[in-house]
Amino acid sequence: MKNLIYIAILSGQLCSAQNWFPHSAVPLPEKRWDVGIFQPFRFGVSEKLEYSLHPLLFFVMPNLSIKLSHKDVGSWSTASRHGFFYPTPLLNMLTHEDKFGMISPEFDPIPRLLGLYSDWLMTGSLSPSTYLTIKTGLSAGISFGDLDERSSIDLPLVYHRLGVFYNKWALRLGVDLTGQIAKKLRFLVDGDAHVLPGFDGDLSLEHKGVLIWDKSEHFRLICGYKFVWGRFPFGTQARILPYIPMIETWVPFIDLQWSGTRI
Amino acid sequence: MTARIYKVLRSSPIGLFLFFLLSCEPFVNEFSDLSEAQMYTASPITTVVVNNNPVVMTWNIRFGAARSPFFGDSCGDSVILKKEHVEANMDKVAAKIQEIDPDIILLQEVDISSKRSGYVNQVQYLLDNTSMNYGCFASVWQADYIASDGIGRMNMGNAILSKYELSEAERIQLRLRTDQSDLVKYFYLRRNILKVRIPELDLYAVNIHATAFATDDTKQKHIGKYIEVLSEINTAGGRFVTGGDLNSLPPDCDAIDFCEYDMCSGENFHTSGAEPYHKEGSYFDNFPGEPEILQPLYDAYIPAIDSVENNSPEHFTHAPSTSYEHWERKYDRKLDYLFTNLSGGWVQGTDSTYQSLWELSDHMPVAAALNTERN
Repeated sequence: MKNLIYIAILSGQLCSAQNWFPHSAVPLPEKRWDVGIFQPFRFGVSEKLEYSLHPLLFFVMPNLSIKLSHKDVGSWSTASRHGFFYPTPLLNMLTHEDKFGMISPEFDPIPRLLGLYSDWLMTGSLSPSTYLTIKTGLSAGISFGDLDERSSIDLPLVYHRLGVFYNKWALRLGVDLTGQIAKKLRFLVDGDAHVLPGFDGDLSLEHKGVLIWDKSEHFRLICGYKFVWGRFPFGTQARILPYIPMIETWVPFIDLQWSGTRI
Repeated sequence: MTARIYKVLRSSPIGLFLFFLLSCEPFVNEFSDLSEAQMYTASPITTVVVNNNPVVMTWNIRFGAARSPFFGDSCGDSVILKKEHVEANMDKVAAKIQEIDPDIILLQEVDISSKRSGYVNQVQYLLDNTSMNYGCFASVWQADYIASDGIGRMNMGNAILSKYELSEAERIQLRLRTDQSDLVKYFYLRRNILKVRIPELDLYAVNIHATAFATDDTKQKHIGKYIEVLSEINTAGGRFVTGGDLNSLPPDCDAIDFCEYDMCSGENFHTSGAEPYHKEGSYFDNFPGEPEILQPLYDAYIPAIDSVENNSPEHFTHAPSTSYEHWERKYDRKLDYLFTNLSGGWVQGTDSTYQSLWELSDHMPVAAALNTERN
């Protein structure tokens, strides 16, 4: 059972490492919230401030981000996003002997690690129902102890996100395009780059395609895929996610999301 | 302009298909019964003259880990080696190969892209740092990620290096173990026989690394398949040199149970209720006939170390890497062999078990010169 929990947590982490919902510069309306199985819980504190955290991961990887709305630049809405994550408890859970040990026990314990990031987002309207968001940001990885480079998890998504702790800093760039296909059906396509200058495996390019079905004001179904290409110490690797190893196949990502308004 | 747009549209689905195809490589490579081996070439190529008495060597190089206390095959707790440590070990292996100067090398436990060995491509490394010119490689263990003990990415296998060109390289799959769960089996080793032709010598080279830890009849199946492959070459009138890490004792070996010597602290064998009763890989009587499993090879072909000498201590080729620390044992059994079906056999007096190299691996190389002249 413990192993299944690890798998679920890691799968969740893998799938939601960058959440599937648009990274718009427009915060959620005041008192509005939404949450998904693999999506973060988001809450609109005010018209200019939004909180976000991953509830599934919170107890093993404390995390929080805030989005602050800023003045429009021309016809573009702008916002900044600032956050932290603390992966040490999760990594220590994955550092053990035998099955599901993702990190060798010789590196136990993993030192305390704090990840900080700040992004700048700009969202503009291309048509009445199509929006483009561009984003750029910096990440910093602080290690409060010796972090052995051999403790890395050399898997797509994970390697470059945790790479910030080995490289100390990283650059994030991305573009999101969202639009309406039908009354209750929307799409999202995006592209993101994680750049770790000087790191052995310094680049990860990601793209996702998602369909969002708004069943009601309070519930939506999200389905899609993610493609990742990255440079690693062993060369390059491309993979469509989610990928199920034992049956060697890609399966569509499916998530459920609920939303509402706090009264 | 229209033609250009049409061209882009026409090529897009193909591009998209290739894009997705690239992303669909298996997480764990499971291999078919027969597949092509990967070919390698040294940079630069060294000019050689054909040797009528080519020296052949077999060596399980333990992925460049030397005698490190690796968790999987000794009483150690080390999993991921430092790249500089692996390169330093590989330099020593390469230097010894240069010194012995073989024409053909049968290698086992060679990593080409494994996290545990710093992602050093050891086939290319040895080709580029010795006078060997050509190589072929067949993966035994290839996975994007082994989610156990932090092993991570893995590509380990058998290789054959040669001064002469290689052709018709084949990877022949051996049966998987049946004493493991489906999950463990999926992520576990897929052992094989690597067979290649050396046209300049009119000779096949056949390399095997048979199962070490199976407690079922897998070893019998592996050796049986090995004998079948050799017999096919022999029956067709082909000439071969073969060998490898057979993980089997010579016939008439006095000791068949090494559990007590290989036992790590905290382990318990040979007592009532001990589960397993014997340590995996340390007991050589798991099924009827295992102690004599190599007898058909000795009967049919010519061993480099003859059957009189093969049980003598000076031809022992293996002991677990931490045995020296625990028992001051550098080697205590013979697991590595060379055979040929050449009528001239081996050049007398050229056979050698290089026990002085015990610090470079948990196996020691065996080498001898072939007599390739036809009667």
